[in-house]
Amino acid sequence: MSSKNKNGNSDVVAYSEMAIRNNLSVVEYCRTSMAALSGCTAGVLGLTGLYGAAFYIFAVTSLWLMILCKAGLSSWKNFFISRKSLLTNGFFGQLFTYILCWTFIYGMVHVY
Amino acid sequence: MTTDLIVDPQIRFWVFLPIVVITFLVGILRHYISILLSSQKKVEIQQLQDSQLILRARVLRENAKYIPKTSFLIRKHAFNREEEGYLMQKRPPVTQNMMTDPSMMTDMLKGNLTNVLPMIIIGGWINWMFSGFITTKVPFPLTLRFKSMLQRGIELSHLDASWVSSASWYFLNVFGLRSIYALVLGENNAADQSKQMQDQMSGAAMAMPNDPKVPFKAEWEALEIVDHQWVLADVENSIMQSD
Amino acid sequence: MANLNSILERLRLWRENNDRKSRKIVEYWITELESNIQKLGREKALILEQVCIAALDCNEFTIAKKCLKELHKDFPNSLRVRKYEAMLFEAQEKYEDAIKILDDIIKVDETNSGAKKRKIAILKAQGKTVEAIKELADYLKIFMADGEAWQELSELYITEQDFQKAAFCVEELILHNPHNHLLHQRYADIKYTQGGLENIELARSYYCQAIKLNPKNVRALYGLYIATTAIATSAKCSSQKKKEAQKLSEWALNEIQNQYKHSNIDDIEDRLGALQIN
Repeated sequence: MSSKNKNGNSDVVAYSEMAIRNNLSVVEYCRTSMAALSGCTAGVLGLTGLYGAAFYIFAVTSLWLMILCKAGLSSWKNFFISRKSLLTNGFFGQLFTYILCWTFIYGMVHVY
Repeated sequence: MTTDLIVDPQIRFWVFLPIVVITFLVGILRHYISILLSSQKKVEIQQLQDSQLILRARVLRENAKYIPKTSFLIRKHAFNREEEGYLMQKRPPVTQNMMTDPSMMTDMLKGNLTNVLPMIIIGGWINWMFSGFITTKVPFPLTLRFKSMLQRGIELSHLDASWVSSASWYFLNVFGLRSIYALVLGENNAADQSKQMQDQMSGAAMAMPNDPKVPFKAEWEALEIVDHQWVLADVENSIMQSD
Repeated sequence: MANLNSILERLRLWRENNDRKSRKIVEYWITELESNIQKLGREKALILEQVCIAALDCNEFTIAKKCLKELHKDFPNSLRVRKYEAMLFEAQEKYEDAIKILDDIIKVDETNSGAKKRKIAILKAQGKTVEAIKELADYLKIFMADGEAWQELSELYITEQDFQKAAFCVEELILHNPHNHLLHQRYADIKYTQGGLENIELARSYYCQAIKLNPKNVRALYGLYIATTAIATSAKCSSQKKKEAQKLSEWALNEIQNQYKHSNIDDIEDRLGALQIN
């Protein structure tokens, strides 16, 4: 997934703006897929209430860890500016997708 | 939470699912229709010049520390000179010809046609076709405040707030599917590129739609207060120390 | 078919990275692509375009003409295709015809920067540097943020030996891309060439910046060495400054020696290539 770019240097670190933007859009793509998939999973499992919320937080965190692993635990700085914003960005934006998928599958499987 | 209400499984196949499918397909259809209708924006040379001017002024402001002071002052003078500095130029107001410009009107109309109209028509149709059904239940408890949002079209005061009516389910879909569209439609770049080919590359066509006066003024102010600190002043010592 | 796919993949990569492997592209065209034009699908136009430019690079006019014909069939009114026609004329040195087409394009679309740049390129090819500079300056009045154009202008000024103006253009480039060590080095080169104590001191600072950004830049190290030597031997300088310059020049000399100690002769060509500003 991660396409690289950076031109770093001993004390000045310069990021290529295009590359950073590209990386972020790739991550955004992953995040949407993650939200949709984990929503479907939560629906199939029939999670309700706080369990569902906890599952979402679990999914977001594990995606974050997976991205960090993919980028390399020590070299993530080459691809992203901030590790924290990678976790928190779009947390609430994707929540909506998650809830929709969750409700949809839950409705399909468990309500009727 | 126990299911205190038995819902007819037929509703699942004839109401719940169709709403999702219809909203999704309408969204995709709308995307392609808007591609079909979109016209290549004609960029006025004046607008192009203005946007490039702003870009250059911004770059100067941000990276001024890399050029010598005199060079910075020359440029600042060129941009901010009292009478004929680049950023002080008078431009005819653009807002007026917006109404008279027919292409602007058709663009606006097309935007409405592809965005607002289907929303109203499909929304109305769904409301009429599937009115009054309870379609699903959100898997988490909600307070009574959400009742009016989720149970549009059903007036049952004793129904638990987490049940969702058909009309509300439609709206949930409309808003929730946005990021899914990005997933589905976002990657067909090849189609876009061959479309570009048909017209032409109007290089970095970052057109500024509005009156340039406002960004000019903002840029002028920002440039006025830039304090030029040359970063190379002590570079000789810093490189010798670094090894 | 697998072969074709891998070629398409490679062409895509080159397109994205703006690599100019014209020889190879033309070779691919002759061996694989030409017989498979219809199978290219969506990418057809892009590939034809790529091959067309490559063919012009390699002086293969028949291939270029064929590509143009295909493109013309698909996009009869495209200005972009017309631009390639103009480029074909240009490659054949039929400059008048090329300029006529380019003027037509500009008449239809005033904001077409590509066509305007091609006209300047023709002027340059004809050796009319002064006219090219004039046109390019006019162009830059509108497209102020076009880094490529600033670079070209600086090079034209250098050929005219108008270093003051060339320095201005390079300053503009540095503003756009402050982390490119080659630009700092180029600026220092120009300042040093201009001469005078003040300019040489400026050159010294910029050589240092270039070295800071890329410690392996031998040309900047050498530049630093001669700049500091010039300062140290200058008559107008205070002794304090001379001492500093002396120290810096010794340091630079030391660094250069270190560089050569560690490098083997194999990659010298790479290094020379890396010193090209383009």
